[in-house]
Amino acid sequence: MKKTSVFRQGIIVGLLLLALTIVEYVVALQTTSATILMLIGAAKAVLVVYYFMHIASLWREGEGH
Amino acid sequence: MSAVATDALAVYRTATRNNRLGLWLFFFSEIFLFGGLLITRFALWQEDGRIVRPELDQTVGLVVTTVLLVSSYFMNRAEVAVAHGRKGDFLASLFITGVLGLVFLLGVIIFEWGVIHLPFIQLEHHVSPRDGVFGAVIFGMTGMHAIHVITGVIFIAIVWVNGRKDVYTPERHWGVEACAIYWHYVDLVWIFFYPALYLIGEVAHH
Repeated sequence: MKKTSVFRQGIIVGLLLLALTIVEYVVALQTTSATILMLIGAAKAVLVVYYFMHIASLWREGEGH
Repeated sequence: MSAVATDALAVYRTATRNNRLGLWLFFFSEIFLFGGLLITRFALWQEDGRIVRPELDQTVGLVVTTVLLVSSYFMNRAEVAVAHGRKGDFLASLFITGVLGLVFLLGVIIFEWGVIHLPFIQLEHHVSPRDGVFGAVIFGMTGMHAIHVITGVIFIAIVWVNGRKDVYTPERHWGVEACAIYWHYVDLVWIFFYPALYLIGEVAHH
């Protein structure tokens, strides 16, 4: 991946995480449902695990630095 | 690149893949620890079958969560920077991550635990460890998480010092990657702890 697009990807994921946190907070003002709030949390977790923790590199050949 | 250097890089990459797997297995074992704490919260914070929570300061919760998320972004930036040989960006981003980690920690210690009393700050809805299941669960969850934050900040400091000594290159920076993955894991735990502590359930009347 090109240098600029990797940096841009980090910014986009960071902004998405912030947006989801605000959504989570606003939703919590309307409902106390554990399911809905934990689903929003799970969406944030997927972003972190996939983009920031690079879980896919576990089974990708030649990934190592 | 010579054949010897190519072989050495191949060995390094194999070692890194094994290290990475080991780190993820460690995270897997930690899921039982943090998962257990999360289940404890839902099991104990109930009133007449309804999920409840204590009245905590929502501003504190939202601010410390945002600080940790922003720190995760800078950690990712540091990792990308070292992979592209941008030493200045790498060190600056890593430094910011460490500072934000400390800010998060101080936020929890000062505003949530109330261990350090600041005369100009009035704490609202503060819970102490002696407040039954509410205090016990809050201090258990945030305490265990805080230990991981402290470990992460120490890890970041070590990597930052190594980075200044040019220990890492774009081809060889497993230390940075391990530190980044660990820090994101700390963030990941808080992603579930934040709604569990601050948002889910009706405010209990105690």
